[in-house]
Amino acid sequence: MIIQFLFIGLPYAAIAAVVIGTYYRLTRKEYTVSSLSSQFLESTFLKWGSVPWHLGILVIFIGHLVPFLLPDLWADLVKHRPILIALEAVGFVAGVMCVLGLVVLIIRRIFTSTLQLVTKPLDFVVYVLLLSQILLGLVTAYSYRYGSVWAPGTVYAYLYGILRLSPDMTYVQDMPFVIQAHIALAWVILMLIPFTRLIHMFSIPLEYLFRLPQKVVWTNEVRWNRRSERAQYMESRRYFFRGVAGVTGAAGLLSFGVLEKSGHYFQGQTLDDAKEATLLEKRLKRMKLTAEEKSYELERLKNDAIFIADLKELQPATGKYFIDYEMRPALAFRDAKGLPNLLSAKCTHLGCTVGKDVDGQGRIVCPCHVSYFDIGTGVPQAGSPTEIPLEHIAWHLRATDGTIVAHGTPDGTVATTAAYDAAKSETYKVFIIKSKGVTVA
Amino acid sequence: MTSVWEFLAERFPVEKMDLQHMVQGKTVPVHRMSWAYYLGGITLFLFLIQVVTGLMLLFYYQPTVNDAYESVQYITEEVPGGHIIRNLHAWSASAMIFFVLAHLVTTFAMKAFAKPREVTWLAGIGLLLITFGFGFSGYLLPWNQIAVNATKIGLQSIEAMGQYLPASMAHLPTQLKEIIQGEASVGQATLSRFFVLHVVVLPLLSFGLIGIHLFSVQLHGMSKGVPGEVKKTEKFFPTFIIKDFSTWGAVFFIMFILAVTLPFDAFFSFPLMDPYNARGSTPDGIKPEWYFYMVYSPLEMLPYWLVMLAVNGGIVVLLLAPWIFQHTSIKTLRTLAIGFAFYFVIITLFGDVIYHLVKGGM
Repeated sequence: MIIQFLFIGLPYAAIAAVVIGTYYRLTRKEYTVSSLSSQFLESTFLKWGSVPWHLGILVIFIGHLVPFLLPDLWADLVKHRPILIALEAVGFVAGVMCVLGLVVLIIRRIFTSTLQLVTKPLDFVVYVLLLSQILLGLVTAYSYRYGSVWAPGTVYAYLYGILRLSPDMTYVQDMPFVIQAHIALAWVILMLIPFTRLIHMFSIPLEYLFRLPQKVVWTNEVRWNRRSERAQYMESRRYFFRGVAGVTGAAGLLSFGVLEKSGHYFQGQTLDDAKEATLLEKRLKRMKLTAEEKSYELERLKNDAIFIADLKELQPATGKYFIDYEMRPALAFRDAKGLPNLLSAKCTHLGCTVGKDVDGQGRIVCPCHVSYFDIGTGVPQAGSPTEIPLEHIAWHLRATDGTIVAHGTPDGTVATTAAYDAAKSETYKVFIIKSKGVTVA
Repeated sequence: MTSVWEFLAERFPVEKMDLQHMVQGKTVPVHRMSWAYYLGGITLFLFLIQVVTGLMLLFYYQPTVNDAYESVQYITEEVPGGHIIRNLHAWSASAMIFFVLAHLVTTFAMKAFAKPREVTWLAGIGLLLITFGFGFSGYLLPWNQIAVNATKIGLQSIEAMGQYLPASMAHLPTQLKEIIQGEASVGQATLSRFFVLHVVVLPLLSFGLIGIHLFSVQLHGMSKGVPGEVKKTEKFFPTFIIKDFSTWGAVFFIMFILAVTLPFDAFFSFPLMDPYNARGSTPDGIKPEWYFYMVYSPLEMLPYWLVMLAVNGGIVVLLLAPWIFQHTSIKTLRTLAIGFAFYFVIITLFGDVIYHLVKGGM
């Protein structure tokens, strides 16, 4: 029963009241068709209240009106997701502007004594209704997303029904409470238009745009400076107190925020077991890597020769990274004769690690500043940032029984011994050797 | 000997060392270049941010090759608000360099080094170098690919000096490099050293120098800054100082928003942020911080000795500026300063483009 009243009875009552009431007020009391101006009494807050409120409510009004008047155009628009989201966002921001503006206006009404002269009880009723209506709209927009999509087929169908005098509540009677309240309140506000300051929406001050300019003088610098000593004193006192309050408030808020956050920061995170385990695993992996690194170092300190790779692992076109005696990166290739070719991989320019892939011209490249090095000689290509060749690294090639079958020296010369047998080369192992006296610069 | 005393007496006039001269009576000129008076203060404020956020990071950071990367990850991902502190530290570091440079250029253009402000200027140049030292040493601490590799390149450029020295001295740069990095290649010793430099040595030095710098600024007042007469002044206390603090507030606001919304490492490709891997090849795109581009980009294009000569020459000129430019007019100085600023902006923004133009593509 109450539903029928709110969605059928109330709308017709409201429409009747608006039509009759507005006609009455426009014809019989035409000088009251406005809202009482209060700009002379208080203008600072008015600026921060009235402007956002009116901007916001105009945007929202248009957003409600267009789908009502041009449903096809609207449907075409909201089909596109970016447009839909943009429209919703604009509407929501406008709603927030309305709320902020209204709050400022309400506070201004209550706390500015001069305004009491032009304030009627009904003004407060209007404020409360408008604020509730906007808040309900915002909640709807937030909780029941994309009203621009669902409202045209439901709420607007109901509205058309009302206007065609064949009311149909099918779509609205089972809607969530918030939306129902928004609709019902809309009728109430509509009904109040002729009896409150809301009537001023019918007197759009368009002639303001064309009338002659008028200058309203309220105060100016000269008058301001001439104000009494007492007024000046009070003025400066007020500013001082305002400043102190502002600074104290800001400092308080800031220190509260900072303390709260830094408290958390120093307390640290309490991790659950799974998270703790992952972190620990990661650390353990790092530790193993570090341990491995250290064992390489130890190996190099203790041994005169270190196994690098099986000869068969080495390829002519792709290098294998290893660590040389100075713990620097180095690359192992296999040359045309099937023998190892070991080069330092530390770029002689600025010490980056040279890449391992050989290009078509037998060169490897340092990614940092694009120095090309010939892998046979280690010499950089002309025009590279460096002119110093990559050093060769001294090596031994050993058979399975340990006899040395070939060796290379830091100057790049390679020699095979009598024991070298190319047929057995797949079993040979490559060692780097401690090159005494010949250290690489 | 007496001339030394006279020099000091002129730079540190004892009769002016009181609150009346240094605070209450001090005035700040108001003219077209007045905005430049705020740059030093902003730099100081950013330094304070660095001190606070740096101390906070110290609570979690572990300066070992094994743990550095993980501890930084932990700060960014697990510690409540940790990413804000780290971002704030990184963003403010960049901002601090920016304002230090702006401060340098403007004070140069305003001839603020002229007598009796030589000591202020020298302390300032010291602070400039220290700030770069902070940047260079701090870059290594996260121990990721870009950090370690960029540090390697930076240190290697010391060693590269050896080739231009006579044979008997050729090993000296290498030795110097190894003294700095503590071992044959960048490793734990380097990390420890850079850590100590970054959190103990350089801060102590900068506290001292900032003390001298600020003290002399208050002692001698603001330099006039423009040719001709200064028509208008405002009181340092409270007018100027309130404006100064207001800019600090604005700067903090901007830095905080940046820190909350934009991770500073968002501009690097991902492999650069991996933990340092000694045995892989160096990933592409190793670059120093943007404020080293002014040296790094020419280093890529020009002969090494030329760049090093220019850099060291530049530092010497800056150190001797009070005497070299003793009689130069503010107008000329302004032109020089604009020239440097122009070079800096162009090479920082377009260094890469110029490099590709010069080298004709990769």
